[in-house]
Amino acid sequence: MNTDQTLYELLDDFAAGKLTAEQVASIEYRLEHDPLFRSKAEQHQAFREAMKFYGSRNQLKTILEETHQQLEEADTTVPVVVMPATGWKKYWPMTAVAASVAFLSILGTLWMTRSLETKQTAIYKELRRNVDQIKRSQKIMMEDIAETKDRTKPVPIPGKYAGTGFLISTNGYVATSYHVVKESDSVFIENEKFGRQKVAVVLSDPANDIAVLRIEHDSVTSVSRTLPYSIIKGEANLGERVFTLGFPREDIVFGEGSISASTGFSQNPNAYQISVPVNPGNSGGPLFNESGDIVGIISGSQTETAGTAFAIKSSVVADVITTASLDTLDKPLVLPKYNTIKNTTRVQQVKRWKDYVFMVQVYKN
Amino acid sequence: MAYYFDELIVSEIKKKNEVALRELYKAHYPMVVNLIRSNNGTEQEAKDIYQEAVIAFYEKVQEEDFVLTCKIKTYLYAVCRRLWLKRLAEKKRFHGNIEETETFLGIEEEMVTIEENEKKFARMRESLSGLGEPCRGILEDFYINDLSMEAISEKFGYTNADNAKNQKYKCLQRLKKLFFATYKEDLP
Repeated sequence: MNTDQTLYELLDDFAAGKLTAEQVASIEYRLEHDPLFRSKAEQHQAFREAMKFYGSRNQLKTILEETHQQLEEADTTVPVVVMPATGWKKYWPMTAVAASVAFLSILGTLWMTRSLETKQTAIYKELRRNVDQIKRSQKIMMEDIAETKDRTKPVPIPGKYAGTGFLISTNGYVATSYHVVKESDSVFIENEKFGRQKVAVVLSDPANDIAVLRIEHDSVTSVSRTLPYSIIKGEANLGERVFTLGFPREDIVFGEGSISASTGFSQNPNAYQISVPVNPGNSGGPLFNESGDIVGIISGSQTETAGTAFAIKSSVVADVITTASLDTLDKPLVLPKYNTIKNTTRVQQVKRWKDYVFMVQVYKN
Repeated sequence: MAYYFDELIVSEIKKKNEVALRELYKAHYPMVVNLIRSNNGTEQEAKDIYQEAVIAFYEKVQEEDFVLTCKIKTYLYAVCRRLWLKRLAEKKRFHGNIEETETFLGIEEEMVTIEENEKKFARMRESLSGLGEPCRGILEDFYINDLSMEAISEKFGYTNADNAKNQKYKCLQRLKKLFFATYKEDLP
């Protein structure tokens, strides 16, 4: 028999307490004095303990397994302790609430902005429609302005419109806006010096909104030898001070301002934008510069912008007049070339100017 | 009431009362299922974790100087939580934290002991599974169930106890070889 085998059997018996006192004593002695024996014994003891440990644990496991079976049999619904669930399942009600809030707010914002947008486009459309309308014919707008201002004016005779005009030659030619005299039956001009005079429309230029009238009564021409102003053939400068005289009411009204832009309504190159306060009735009035020369004819204003008026450029006026085929054999239209009041004060200038500025009265059935 | 229950359970388990163990097991299982299931686990995993914790507790109670320092529920919860966190880390399925509703002081040392015991158990289990029958049966009967060699030779049909003893010795040698081989591997 193997020595190791007997040794282990001995040790097993020793652990089980089956040995006699003599054998126990001998083993204890060897444990103390034989290191080899001792290490073998210790190893065996560790093994025995591991086995025991394994055994008891296994037994426990069996018991617990049994218990678990009982548990499941007794009540299969035990683990159904309303699971707070995992991961996003746990938070889905919250997520749902958040999502719906987000959804609603997005919807709300969309709704609000869209309504805002439609409002804006509505405004824009209206504006565009206006612009379109005006673009179709700038004249039409100007005419409209002239008409409305004329209608608002309290005049005794129906179908009468009023505007302003000014003398452009010593032999009785008067310049005004086309829209003042358009579709007229008869036209009169009136001021302090000349009184009331009947005039004939001798030149109509709807495109440039210019009309030239001629005083029918020859006697008038003798009144004046020279005009105190000339008509500028060049362009006025931006920011130049300008003045006007006109008849927005029964009395002559002075207005002043400056050239604010070198183009007119919707970039019309034939007109200036001016910052002169004008009212219905100012149409056709002269626009003087600081030295007292004419730089333009007041033509209209923009409805939605404050302090914006337009004047036809004098260069255009001069062009139109010189290129127009007027029957001027007996009465040649000679534009004034000299400015005689260049160096006088404004008050003096105005005093002279107002003699040559008329209220234009238009009769129409 | 829970404390009375705990005291009773502990004193009964000290006496190795199986009924007390079963009652203890039943008492706290739902809590652990809840814990595991709400943290990416299945019921099966909950069962494994819980059994490990209960066994650890049982073994702890067996210690001579055992004193109950907190509620059993707290102990089990803390141990299960740690075990589960470890399991999750191994599975790399989870990198967060499980909120600690029950804290138990000394959990760190406890976890070390539990892990050691688990290793010891696993090692023996592995070694034994490396043995075939009847070796395993003989050794288990002799060392665990404390049967005498005579009973074993009768049970396994040996003609006499000496044959059984020889067989047992051969099996023992094989098992020790397996056991101490892994044992050395585990040592640092």
